[in-house]
Amino acid sequence: MVTESSSAAAASLGALSTPEIEARVQVDRSSKQVIVLYWGAALFWLTFASIAGIITSIKLHNPGFLGGIEWLTFGRMRAVHWDTAIYGFGGVAASGTLLWLQARLCQVRMPYTKLLIAGGLVFNVGILLGVIGIFMGQSTGVETLEFPLWAMPFLVVPYVFIVIANFTMYFQKKTTHTYVSQWYLMAVTVWFPVLVLSAEACTNLGAVDGVAQAIANWWYGHNVVGLFATPTGIAAAYYLIPKVIGKPIHSYHLSLLGFWANAIFYNWAGTHHLTGGPLPAWTITLGVVGSMMMFIPVITIGINHHMTMVGSFHLLKTSPTLRFAVMGSMMYTFASFQGSLESLRSHQEITHFTHYTIGHVHLGMYGFFAPLMFAMIYYAMPRLMNREWSSARLIRIHFWCTLIGTAIYGGAMCYAGIRQGMMMNDPSVPFLNIVQFTVPYLQLRTLGGVILLAGTVAFLINFVRIVTPHKFTWASPTMLDTDRDWKDILKAEKGAEAAQ
Amino acid sequence: MEKRLHPKDAGGFCVFGVFIFIWSFALISGTVMVWLLAWAIRRGEFRDLRQGARMIFDEDEPVGIVTDHFPGEQPKW
Repeated sequence: MVTESSSAAAASLGALSTPEIEARVQVDRSSKQVIVLYWGAALFWLTFASIAGIITSIKLHNPGFLGGIEWLTFGRMRAVHWDTAIYGFGGVAASGTLLWLQARLCQVRMPYTKLLIAGGLVFNVGILLGVIGIFMGQSTGVETLEFPLWAMPFLVVPYVFIVIANFTMYFQKKTTHTYVSQWYLMAVTVWFPVLVLSAEACTNLGAVDGVAQAIANWWYGHNVVGLFATPTGIAAAYYLIPKVIGKPIHSYHLSLLGFWANAIFYNWAGTHHLTGGPLPAWTITLGVVGSMMMFIPVITIGINHHMTMVGSFHLLKTSPTLRFAVMGSMMYTFASFQGSLESLRSHQEITHFTHYTIGHVHLGMYGFFAPLMFAMIYYAMPRLMNREWSSARLIRIHFWCTLIGTAIYGGAMCYAGIRQGMMMNDPSVPFLNIVQFTVPYLQLRTLGGVILLAGTVAFLINFVRIVTPHKFTWASPTMLDTDRDWKDILKAEKGAEAAQ
Repeated sequence: MEKRLHPKDAGGFCVFGVFIFIWSFALISGTVMVWLLAWAIRRGEFRDLRQGARMIFDEDEPVGIVTDHFPGEQPKW
């Protein structure tokens, strides 16, 4: 409760405005247009990808659904779903997060904002063109690189601007130390261009053939998640969890060890997707070893994220950012353990080519990566827009939909996948029986997808309201840089307690 | 019927160029990363890690201040 005496204390502190605060507000404001564009576009693509995913999912238990329209056949819808999820939502949301976090941690104004806005627009046009290409049947057939080649320059060129802006901010930084999140963010901008250009060269540009092309394909397919989406998610968690609860991370030494271990080991893991394929055995063994070594960064990151939270779990009730960030970091630990174990040949005997893998991917992307992007948006948007989210209820709906939707989706797919794999290994079980067995779980998956979409819509409503101020205003903004009342009250109360 | 380009058809142009590109890219980015690590060590980035962990806090939002809560609700400590 706010008492009268503390209000008086707050009034005396109310005029407090240090250069530090001014600088932070300026840094945030300088990035406003860029970040709103990137995150708005990301939410559009997330909605788009969710709808595409649901249509794809329905087709698996009702094969005739929309079957008469060639643009919406399974082969095209699935590619559209994944590519818009990874590039449209993942790529754009991660780029927005990267730029905002880097500006904040370097304490510099965002450079080249016009270039970044133009780049963001071109990037989104590129995704749109790619999607149209796939719809028209021009998919390359290389998973995760399905966009036709002519759409790729639209994706690659704007990313150069992001790389330049990122390093410009870093080399202009006013801080003396490089925070662990910054290591991840800078690594992403180095890794991603190398990944995408090399993979395109080795697959769609045809530098290599056959098995080598499959290796390049899965080297990329795995790394685009692990060296592009994941580091951004981890960077967000390393900033948000300590920042929200007001406690430095548990072990900073471990966090740096985790970063370098991730950088060294993740790159090798991709070939575990090709277990049982016509590859030299050592390439797959290399993938399995790389996957098992990932336990080192995963454990160090897990220790840091979870141990930092110890003693602060009660804040989950009151902080939307923390809810999503903690959900994301917990799911990171879970999905990473699952993924490492999944790479083992003995495990793959059962789960390879089953729904289990699909369950794992969604636990990673929608259980870990997406919530951390949501957390970032929930934390940053009020500070960028200088106004509060319009509805706490919509935030709660979004959170519970994300949690329950992911649980239903992941649970149904992983369980069905294990059963499916065991039945497929038993020659006495007719294949049709296996297909029929999976139908209820595929329906559950559609349900999970619909729940996730409902959450996204709630988020979208809140997002539209916060960027269109004239229609929806919140009576008493709470946690903004300029409206500092409650913070001062809390500080005054804490000071009084300490004095006693 | 559109003729699909077989990778081999583009081979003469691609294979050599692509490998030069990939290897030089890998070598350059690898060298840059090693140089950056050396630069960071020289700069003293890893000298005082305990303080480094606290760089996200400042006078306005110091350690111990909770900086997020549901809109329109009382912040909890």
